[in-house]
Amino acid sequence: MLKKSPFRMLFNRAMNPMERLLTVVIIAYVAFVSIRNPLFFGPQALFDILSSGAGLMILALGVLIVLISGGIDVSFAAIAVVASYTAVLLARALETDSLLFILFVSIGLGAVLGSINAIIVHFYKLPTLIVTLATASVFHGIMAITLGMKTFTQTDVPESMITFGRWYVWSIEAEDGSRTSLSGYVVITGFVMLVTWFILYRTRMGRSVFAVGSSEEAAKRIGINIFGTRLFVYSYVGMLSGLMGVMYWSRLYYINPDILYGFVELSIIAAVVIGGAKLTGGEGTILGALLGLFVYQLFSNTLVYLGLSPAWSQLFFGSVLLTMLVIIYYRQRQANKKALVFSTM
Amino acid sequence: MATTSPLLVAKNLSISFGGVRALKGIDLEIQPGEIRCLAGENGSGKSTFVKIVSGVYQADGGDLIIGGNTAHHHNPIKASDAGIQVIFQDLSLFNHLSVGENIAINQLIHRGSWRISRNRIREIAEPQLAKVGVDLDLDAPVATLSMANKQLVAICRALAMDAQLLFMDEPTTALTSREVHRLLEIVQGLKEEGLSVVFISHKLDEIFSVADSITVFRDGDKVGDFNAEDLDEASLSKHMTGREVSYGRYHRVHEETAPILEVKNLTRTTNYTDLSFDVRPGDIVGFTGLLGAGRTELALSLFGLNKPDSGQIFVEGKEVTISAPWDAMTHGIALVPENRLEQGLFGDQSVAANISVAVPDLVSNSLGILRAASVQELSHQVVHDMGVNNKNTDVKISILSGGNQQKVVIGKWMLWNPRILVLDSPTVGIDIGSKAEIYDRIHTLASKGIGVIFISDEVGEIAANCNRVFVMHEGEVLREFREDDMKAKDFKATLAGLIANPDSVSVESGSAPAEKVGE
Amino acid sequence: MLRVWKFVSRDREFGSLVATTVVVTGVLYIAVGGRMFSSLGISSMAIQIAEFGFLALGMGLAMLMGGIDLSVAAAAGLAGLMGAMVMSGSIIPITETNHMLIVTLGVVATLGTGMLTGAINGFLIAKVSVPPILATLGTMIFFTGVGMAVTGGNSVGIEVPEFSALFAGTKVSVFPLMFLVLVVVFAVVAFLLNKTVTGRSVYLFGENEVALRFSGVRTERTVMMTYLLIGLLMGFAALLIIARANSMRIGYGEGYLLQAILVVVLAGFNPFGGKGRISSLFVGLILLQLLATSITAFGLTPYHRNLMFGLILLIVMGINFAVNRTSRAKKLMPGVAAAPTTEAIILAERDEHIRQ
Repeated sequence: MLKKSPFRMLFNRAMNPMERLLTVVIIAYVAFVSIRNPLFFGPQALFDILSSGAGLMILALGVLIVLISGGIDVSFAAIAVVASYTAVLLARALETDSLLFILFVSIGLGAVLGSINAIIVHFYKLPTLIVTLATASVFHGIMAITLGMKTFTQTDVPESMITFGRWYVWSIEAEDGSRTSLSGYVVITGFVMLVTWFILYRTRMGRSVFAVGSSEEAAKRIGINIFGTRLFVYSYVGMLSGLMGVMYWSRLYYINPDILYGFVELSIIAAVVIGGAKLTGGEGTILGALLGLFVYQLFSNTLVYLGLSPAWSQLFFGSVLLTMLVIIYYRQRQANKKALVFSTM
Repeated sequence: MATTSPLLVAKNLSISFGGVRALKGIDLEIQPGEIRCLAGENGSGKSTFVKIVSGVYQADGGDLIIGGNTAHHHNPIKASDAGIQVIFQDLSLFNHLSVGENIAINQLIHRGSWRISRNRIREIAEPQLAKVGVDLDLDAPVATLSMANKQLVAICRALAMDAQLLFMDEPTTALTSREVHRLLEIVQGLKEEGLSVVFISHKLDEIFSVADSITVFRDGDKVGDFNAEDLDEASLSKHMTGREVSYGRYHRVHEETAPILEVKNLTRTTNYTDLSFDVRPGDIVGFTGLLGAGRTELALSLFGLNKPDSGQIFVEGKEVTISAPWDAMTHGIALVPENRLEQGLFGDQSVAANISVAVPDLVSNSLGILRAASVQELSHQVVHDMGVNNKNTDVKISILSGGNQQKVVIGKWMLWNPRILVLDSPTVGIDIGSKAEIYDRIHTLASKGIGVIFISDEVGEIAANCNRVFVMHEGEVLREFREDDMKAKDFKATLAGLIANPDSVSVESGSAPAEKVGE
Repeated sequence: MLRVWKFVSRDREFGSLVATTVVVTGVLYIAVGGRMFSSLGISSMAIQIAEFGFLALGMGLAMLMGGIDLSVAAAAGLAGLMGAMVMSGSIIPITETNHMLIVTLGVVATLGTGMLTGAINGFLIAKVSVPPILATLGTMIFFTGVGMAVTGGNSVGIEVPEFSALFAGTKVSVFPLMFLVLVVVFAVVAFLLNKTVTGRSVYLFGENEVALRFSGVRTERTVMMTYLLIGLLMGFAALLIIARANSMRIGYGEGYLLQAILVVVLAGFNPFGGKGRISSLFVGLILLQLLATSITAFGLTPYHRNLMFGLILLIVMGINFAVNRTSRAKKLMPGVAAAPTTEAIILAERDEHIRQ
């Protein structure tokens, strides 16, 4: 009987090579920085990473599901902005200050926008990358034209959102009286991760997503509703994006519809890919996405402890990304050669 | 047989595609507990028939009666509910899902609830694995399984859907002989339970090893139903093709004994072991055996796509290492690959473009600029020499028939004046007329001094075209037949028997060393 | 004249593209008026076409091979940065006499960096077999990262005015020099693709990479050379970018990615590879530039422009889809997936056999 590692017993599977690599990278980086700057190994850095990364992780979960289904969606950031911005404007117009209302509208609109993606992708049978590139532009453009691009400063942001953004679940007071706090967002993210996990691994729809991503042809043959599955996938991403948008503005208590879209999409996709999700579909783990995003966060937020400006973050992330791609795909190339697999389609 | 109600009755079933009648009124009956084979060449309609029965296509005319009920607006779901399951050649499995999930998935999707529990999967999957008599890890991803085990998973999935009538498309293609035996045992077991299993095949040896009865399709018609014991390879072939098939035997006329190609102790782990043979000018050396024997792997090694782990290759006496196809070509080795569509052709390109890609130096000047005149000249030469029907080389190659396409593929290599031509299953899916013409061309090429390696599954083809034959089994040479051996009256039967039952013979390693050649 | 007509009408898509461009030009001339088509207007549009055109050509080449190059803008950015840095005097001090030397070095640095980016992409895709989309995603982030690390996000100014004068200022009648260079480069690339062995390999690679390998072509070399060429084209684009602004800041040109994909798809390139005419791409560039300029002329915002581009992309893809569907439907059987199955091919074979 093989002795089961604690990981295996918890997750019922072995760690995949990408997850292993990423863990090594994380441990190495943390160790290195901690040695150079002991301040790093305190709660502040960790809380910072978790708090700011919580929203991004929610987006990453959406990216993960789309990748598993065999597509790529680059419109999620645009949907996040459009859905949440519209929700805020609507709330102001109706003079309500209800967080629930804003969330409801944002998530709902996100689902609608996502469904549009699903419809176009399914009936046009075109590369999802290009389709979602176009729809992102259209969604954002329509918003810009019809609703305007007004920014909202703290005085104009709905009170309920500000309260939401200031929700902390853990506060630690340092000797000098300063407080380090962990945002309550991690609870939300944890919950979304649980729900996503459940859907993917314990429901018929989730398994259909894997099936469609693994072999659309076979899925068709056994009667899986391909369109229904796609509709679910892209609506789900849309909903997650809508949720994230509200979270994002709330934490910043500053709303500028010009940011987010066009900046983070490809990095989040990259993070999920180095976590083990494949473009060809059918593969990808939540843990992998989490680790990949964690690496991204490390490089975005903690370089300051090394005395480097944030301008260096992309170089670090890009280097890790390229290195991991080389490792993953060189290995696959060798395996393909041995198995006499010539086509990679 | 007692008057049990048939599982399936087809009455005057017909269907047309774009004006072409693919099925011309088929009458067919399948009783419970049968092992039937639908035999026919590619394009004969047997696969189309199965697609109608399984609800993928709608018949234009005639009736389909399944389990006593006439089918209206038939679709895959209804077919599945009626007990019809089809296992296609690609098995339609989900590589990234587990064994258990693959087996249970039809049920989970159509009959289960929105929730999926591992217990439920186990409940559905385990009985099927037991029925089939195999033990597989339910949680293992299907991608990690061997081809034979994947097939068993596919069978289990069909059983989990309460299959009464199971269609299997060319099931023994990727199996070793041992695995074929196991499959047959399982199928026999299913037969005893009242299921019927219908194989679809065009391979003669496969048909005879599995079927009780055979229904032959030809050109959209049903030729007839036969008991397997009443037919032999020749008569079945005649029914399938409509002609007396006998090809002219090839006899080597060259006198030279110095080999063009020598292979010594060539080994590639898990592909083939310790192969040694030689090819002389004018030889057409046949390599046959079941799939998994290592023949295609050997061909790829000779063409630089499968680097051997040890051993030596000599071309015209000089040792060479072949690192890539372009390297193989500089040594004069050309390969006509097994998979014509994926590996041999550019479907959307013209015939001329397909030909000229192989001979860049002949169609361009020193700067690399294409000379349209050369392209035209050489393509017309190929089309003429190979007897391609359509003389216009600007047409898209995809509109040519399979036979003509293959002629182009073979012909383009001839422009290279190769020393060695390796043909991997060159006449699969090709009509009889083209086959004969291709054989003719190959004989001509060989008699001009080229050394030919001919890989094939068909005993008749091997017997007619080769002057020497190697039978391979699981990576090793089982037996070599020399020219005198092949003159024996029952050679074909011996060969067929050897391929079907390789375990009955002890494996001999390699052929005689080069010095003994000269018969 | 007849030859021109034959050239245009040979390809239905090309013909309709040309027709659309002509119509749009006419409409805009009437609607916006002469200002857009004055000599200043034309040369302004021309130089924008030139700047963007090299990027688009690079994207087009990548797409011909069945891939996509997400790093085009980032590569051009980095190349431009290297050139700007050389010409800023921070590496080699600028004296009164060495201006032309500095300019030359700057050009070399720009083009060289461009080719280096191409080499990196080519290596990843050809030698490591990373899927092009991922490889260029990674290099996009990496190239931007290098640029950001070196400059900290600040712009780098060019201190040799001759450079800008030469590359942005020089005109031949109403057309800027670099526009003419673009035309020449397009013609050369089109010639290479259609009339040389290596060029045809690019198309064949996009259509069936495996068959190309089996035909004895050195496919890795083909990929490598194509990406090197793309890198060089990025270098050209970079020259223009820094010449126009007389400086360089990382992050410029990020919006070009959507546009580049749009114009390539608009020109009829198949996103899966193997099909695309360079001349169509050129016409597409003109059309797009006309639309973009008209947006500004009508006083609309960049958001309007992006919206319009997004819509056009969707509509064009929809049309392509519908057109391809009807022409393929003749050969296809009902109820079968869009790609021809073996059955379809075999049955088609059978038809031919009967007819012959």
